[in-house]
Amino acid sequence: MSGICRPRLAEERKQWRKDHPFGFYAKPAKAADGSMNLMEWEVGIPGKAATAWDGGLYKLSMIFPEDYPSKPPKCKFTPPLFHPNVYPSGTVCLSILDEEKSWKPAITIKQILLGIQDLLDDPNVNDPAQSDAYTMFKNDKVAYEKRIKQQARENFPK
Amino acid sequence: MSSDYEYSDEEIDDVFDDDEMDYQDDNGDDGMDMDDFKVVPKTTRKAYELEYDSLAQAAIEKLMEQDVEHIHGILGVDSGAAGLLLRHMSWNKERLIEKYMDNANKMLVAAGAIQPEPEVTRPSRRPTRKVTKRSPSPPKTAGPFVCSICFDDSSDLTPLALDCGHAACSGCWEAYITSKVRDEAEHTCRCMAEGCGLVAPDSFVRAAVDDEIYARFQELLVRHFVGCTPHLKFCPYPSCTNTVSCPAAASKVSLSTVVPTVSCGARGLASDPSLSQSQELVRQATGKEHKFCFGCMIDSDHRPVVCAVAALWLKKCRDDSETANWIKSNTKECPKCQSTIEKNGGCNHMTCKKCKHEFCWVCMGPWSEHGTAWYSCNRYDEKGGVDARDTQSKSRASLERYLHYYNRWANHEQSAKLALDMFAKTEKKMEEMQITSTLTWIEVQFMKKAVEELDKCRTTLKWTYAMAYYLAKGNQKDLYEDNQRDLERAVEDLSELLESPIEPENIPSLRQKVTDKTVYVQKRNQIVLEDTADGFLEGRWQWNATVDGFDEVGEA
Repeated sequence: MSGICRPRLAEERKQWRKDHPFGFYAKPAKAADGSMNLMEWEVGIPGKAATAWDGGLYKLSMIFPEDYPSKPPKCKFTPPLFHPNVYPSGTVCLSILDEEKSWKPAITIKQILLGIQDLLDDPNVNDPAQSDAYTMFKNDKVAYEKRIKQQARENFPK
Repeated sequence: MSSDYEYSDEEIDDVFDDDEMDYQDDNGDDGMDMDDFKVVPKTTRKAYELEYDSLAQAAIEKLMEQDVEHIHGILGVDSGAAGLLLRHMSWNKERLIEKYMDNANKMLVAAGAIQPEPEVTRPSRRPTRKVTKRSPSPPKTAGPFVCSICFDDSSDLTPLALDCGHAACSGCWEAYITSKVRDEAEHTCRCMAEGCGLVAPDSFVRAAVDDEIYARFQELLVRHFVGCTPHLKFCPYPSCTNTVSCPAAASKVSLSTVVPTVSCGARGLASDPSLSQSQELVRQATGKEHKFCFGCMIDSDHRPVVCAVAALWLKKCRDDSETANWIKSNTKECPKCQSTIEKNGGCNHMTCKKCKHEFCWVCMGPWSEHGTAWYSCNRYDEKGGVDARDTQSKSRASLERYLHYYNRWANHEQSAKLALDMFAKTEKKMEEMQITSTLTWIEVQFMKKAVEELDKCRTTLKWTYAMAYYLAKGNQKDLYEDNQRDLERAVEDLSELLESPIEPENIPSLRQKVTDKTVYVQKRNQIVLEDTADGFLEGRWQWNATVDGFDEVGEA
């Protein structure tokens, strides 16, 4: 399995550098000695324009298992995000990131990140992952919106 | 007489010839005959025994093949697609056929056998042609092949794709299916392309992975099939791969009238490295048959009591509720440090051993407030005290009742656990007997027979106590307990006989006694089992607790 993992990630990196959606960034993390660690990526997902998420750039780390791409990477917002489908730990709950649901080895990093961007403004109420954001989203849309806008300001890229 | 005999002999020959002819002519017919034969009830079946069959994994695979062939024949889809359809519909052939007739395309798409057609569907066209070819076919690609999963573009790659044409190299397919089968225990391997719902059929999986993974894949299919079929259950013994078929106990309703004790046909457990060599030999020789209850999968025989009551009892025994009950009726907590204290004598002036708090056992107030009213608590609330004593004596009585049954239950269980030693000891005794008497090995088998019978009866007895605990008071229970008592007495007598020392001069009489007693014990056991089984069929038993599958009964 590890036979596929690294070449695939190297290719993903190549493809990303060649072309990636506007406002996103994605790069393998640097180890302490300055070497590149392909198994863990640091990425940034911008909020969609004309939504409460607009203006924010949300930091996420992607951790790839040894049997990637048979298994999906783990995507974790750092710091954890206020969002109904983000666990208190920051891990994203999304069907395409679950090997028992819709994960497929052919899904690229670009597709994952675009999928997460879609999720930001379009939460899935059937799969709540944290109670704070979920209850507010369900009960008080106005307060929720306000809270999201504040979060966008906090995540304004420097 | 002699002519009669000759005649019948001839007839048998004839029948035999016919059978042979049949066999050569038509295999399918023969299978039917076998089925017919199974339906004929055995003449000596007791009320407490059920018809069942033990099947090895290969036999289950055969059953699955038959189902697939059946669907293949009826719906005209190829066997790969038939397998996927059946798995999608949890092997329910009737529902599959019904739904397929409703909307064949929808079913095939849902099962992952074909892709949904993006254009307008053509209702008149039979979809069968779409799924006739189903082998891993090299997809047609323009230019050099680049695997979309690993991005490798070497020229020696073998591209593979399902009918959808989403190609990936064979290495990626192998890694993907292996991880699905081995890590996720999943037999549905969908195409690796995003959103594509096609499922890899068996032939594709076979071609993609190594033997070990394919064997595991087949095991998963068998598990799925057995899990979907109510009259099939896996043997719960570790590492045993047999399956038991018991149609009589397939429905939940039947479990309130029968106790489906079955045996998968295998014996012994997988070898245990902690056993010494001699113990290992004993284990193999005495390997117990894999007896289990088809209804609740308890790995022993819980006759005569039905599954629901057995489960209630086991839960009660496992629960700490009785321990809690004991603590409640015998102890109090220190009001300061909450240590649990059992008062086993002395006056009401308590000093907690742990925190040295001094308090009154009766009112639980600090002792300092009692002033000079030593040994008599002046804050004693008459009413509350009476209530407290009442509840205490009630819980004590219920505890005693439970312990009465539990002790007897545990005693028989303990004896059953010692059966292994008993077997070894008996073996030794049998050898001794062979040496000291003129009896042959065959003739000393009566000892072994007796021990086996004893073990069976102890299991029965054990569970009779579980049943008695829940039986409502009344004539039925009295009769039941009479039977139980008779069996218990017989068992203890036989047990004693087997333990008695062997003197060469009284071996013949001992043999006679043991043989007689064994037969008697066997008989008593049958009586208990038969009577309770009949009782369940007649709905004669009333419970003092609410039992699943029975009418609600009030406290007797």
